[in-house]
Amino acid sequence: MATGRARVKTIRPPQRYGPEFSSQKTWALLEPNIREILNHNAMNLSFEENHRYAYNMVLCKEGPMLYEGVKRLVKENLVKLANEVIIPKFPTSGASDLMHKSQEDEALLKALRRVWDDHKSSMYRLGQILKYMDRVYTKGAGVPETWEAGLELFLENIMRGPIQVHLITAILDQVQFERDGHVINRSAVKGCVDVLLGLTTDDKGTNLYKRDLEQPLLAASEKFYQGEGDRLVETCGAPEFLSRVETYLEAEESRTQHYLSRLTAPALRNVLYNHLLTAHLSAVISMPTGLNSMIESDKIEDLERLYRIFTLVPEGLSTLKRALKDSIAGRGKEINRISLAIDASEKEAAATRSDLDPDAPKGKGKEKEKKRPQNATAQTLTFALQWVQDILDLKDKFEAIWKQAFKKDREVESALNEAFESFINLNERCSEFISLFIDDHLKRGLKGKSDAEVESILDKTIIVFRYITEKDVFERYYKGHLAKRLLLGRSVSDDAERGMLAKLKVECGFQFTQKLEGMFQDMKVSVDTNTAYRAHLSKTTPPDVDLSVTVMTSTFWPVSYIVSPCNLPPPLLRACQSFEQFYFARHSGRRLTWLPSHGNGDVRVVFNKRTHDLNVSTYALVILLLFESLGDGEFLTYSEIKEATGIVDNELQRHLQSLACAKYKVLKKHPPSRDVALDDSFSFNADFTADLQKIKISTVSARVETGDERKETKDRIEEERRHQTEACIVRIMKDRKHMKHNDLVNEVTRQLASRFQPDPLVIKKRIEGLIDREYLERCEDRKSYNYLVSLILCLPSAYDWLTVC
Amino acid sequence: MTEDIDMQTEPKDTDWVCVNSTDGFSFLVRRKVAYASGTMRNMLDTESNYAEASTRTCTIYQRGIIVEKLLEYMAFRAHYESVGPKEEIPVHEFMERIPPEIVLELLLAADYQEM
Repeated sequence: MATGRARVKTIRPPQRYGPEFSSQKTWALLEPNIREILNHNAMNLSFEENHRYAYNMVLCKEGPMLYEGVKRLVKENLVKLANEVIIPKFPTSGASDLMHKSQEDEALLKALRRVWDDHKSSMYRLGQILKYMDRVYTKGAGVPETWEAGLELFLENIMRGPIQVHLITAILDQVQFERDGHVINRSAVKGCVDVLLGLTTDDKGTNLYKRDLEQPLLAASEKFYQGEGDRLVETCGAPEFLSRVETYLEAEESRTQHYLSRLTAPALRNVLYNHLLTAHLSAVISMPTGLNSMIESDKIEDLERLYRIFTLVPEGLSTLKRALKDSIAGRGKEINRISLAIDASEKEAAATRSDLDPDAPKGKGKEKEKKRPQNATAQTLTFALQWVQDILDLKDKFEAIWKQAFKKDREVESALNEAFESFINLNERCSEFISLFIDDHLKRGLKGKSDAEVESILDKTIIVFRYITEKDVFERYYKGHLAKRLLLGRSVSDDAERGMLAKLKVECGFQFTQKLEGMFQDMKVSVDTNTAYRAHLSKTTPPDVDLSVTVMTSTFWPVSYIVSPCNLPPPLLRACQSFEQFYFARHSGRRLTWLPSHGNGDVRVVFNKRTHDLNVSTYALVILLLFESLGDGEFLTYSEIKEATGIVDNELQRHLQSLACAKYKVLKKHPPSRDVALDDSFSFNADFTADLQKIKISTVSARVETGDERKETKDRIEEERRHQTEACIVRIMKDRKHMKHNDLVNEVTRQLASRFQPDPLVIKKRIEGLIDREYLERCEDRKSYNYLVSLILCLPSAYDWLTVC
Repeated sequence: MTEDIDMQTEPKDTDWVCVNSTDGFSFLVRRKVAYASGTMRNMLDTESNYAEASTRTCTIYQRGIIVEKLLEYMAFRAHYESVGPKEEIPVHEFMERIPPEIVLELLLAADYQEM
């Protein structure tokens, strides 16, 4: 703008203030005006005039005088304000009334805020008229501009000494007052907090709030919440504690939002977390009203809050997980107690039996006790079913809680699973019980329930099944139960059976169900075989007895290969031979072993009143046939029956019992009692009556294993495991040829884990066994093994076959 | 704060403001134009409410010709302040219009007016 071309014309010199200018005089004029401005009387003053005074002073190099003068005036004003406005509001010490004290605090805060506002607006106005000084003088002189100088003055003259002490105390008191549940004037506090936030103390920009208020505030909060936490733990139940904590958290959050600095929020939150939560986590969760009772009474809302609050702090989740595990373990223990009770009652029963056996006394009290063994088995079954049902219920309960209250937290889920797994496996008979449960539902349950219901029950059972570590034990029991269902035709729905099998297959792979499927296959083939046999019979002379045979592949079925002998009466024998002839003609090179213990037969018996069709087991049939040729009132002693039939003692007792002592007493036992003793004798009960024409006499069956049987099963499983371990070792070594001992053990453990938990010691023993048999050799370093390929080629032994399964 | 009731109304850019020179000239300009000067902006600030703000009258202690040129520039600046970047601002033409003989005075006045 200043570039004009020089042309000759009259150029007036700029106005000069020189000669008549006197800085003293100007200041004398300006000073009262500044005072007026500080007193809010700016409207009566001319801006132009004062601006010009300042302008002139700066122009005439009187900047320092102006600057210092203004500072002095501002300081005076501040001191005056402090004395007039703030100091009178200092709380009178000893105000015992809280309400009164709070009002005093509020007044002080308000006063400070007023002074601040006052000062701010004055400084703003001064800044305007001193604009020229700020532009020209301050920068050169290296002093803060008017506004900053004003802030500094405020810091120096107000924010110090007693005023600051009272101020901080007042703010803390107000916060405390509010925490105690009273209402305070938040805006008054906020006003002062803002002042503190706006004042920086050094170059780094630390403001007064950070420097003077935050620490005391946090310390006070810490103290308060520490006390509060202890108090709450002492006085409240867990649900109340949690909701209180939540309220506190929200309150502090809103406090930082509304009148404290947002920057304090994390620190304050930490104080709360530390003193309200972390310190009391386990105390709260294990209160009588804690997690357990919440779960007990399905307090989803409380549980949800518990989860929400506990997950706020790092230790919370692990505490919750631990408590959940404990809770489940406790409940599991309760459920398991039932099965312990069974064991106890069985032992007792066994004890009484052995007591009674030698001389079979007939005291009335003892008679009662005799009933026990039988009751015990039935009871065991109910307990087993109850056990699984309880677990399912428990699982359902926790599943629901997990879904609704724990937001499907993955970590919680794994904790739940772990807990279930550990307590289920604490019960040694878990596999048997679960298999029994499935058996019961596939046998009976289908009648009352829809397919979908059964499906869902079985699905849940699979979940429980998943927890079993010893899956091979389960397989054994399941096989046994399935065999019984198939042979006795008890399985209600083939679809359901296959569905269950499919589920197991999904869980454990096809190897697991291979044999089970083989059993189904055998059943199917047997039907075809029977039809063919009938056709064959129609062409030749059929034997007297109608025969239907189930041909079972011996490796698939869990029947004992040691055949219990039984002398079949001639008509049956003839029928068997007829079938054998037919079968061997079709399949040469096979061997048939008759297993009468698994069969049953229909027999028509003529009693005095009427004729009944009896459906009895093959053994029972054989026994009954002994009585066919006997006259009325004739006896057969136990030993005579045994001799004639050749049936082993325990089977014979069982069948005699079911014929003579059960609901339908086809035979009479002498003397009558519930149990069959070795010196009893029997006669045909010709007076037998029943309502139905057709009667099924079911054998007093032991669906649940007795102690001895269990021991046998255990041994069998041990043996199977040995084979599996060896097969696994061979399989791995065949693949790797050379392996370190530890690697091998780890690999074997890993591969077998889906079926059972192998013991490293057992694995080591198996390796040694294989070395003895020269499948493997120990390397020179004594720590690794070589696989001996050539030998396995010469010995295509059982292990190649085992490799498959 | 005691403030004139009249001045409580929000100041608008289109308000008229009276600018006086020392030799008796008076100019009426829009507030927006007056705000082109930092000093006048402070002067007319209704917040601090100095006498000038309440009367909406400012005095520039210069001759009428200087005040006129100042105001002309302020109007020029207020006008071209908001134009797009493409439009050419005829700064050169404006400079042509400044008589060299008042340049020195104008410079000083402009400094005082914080322009």
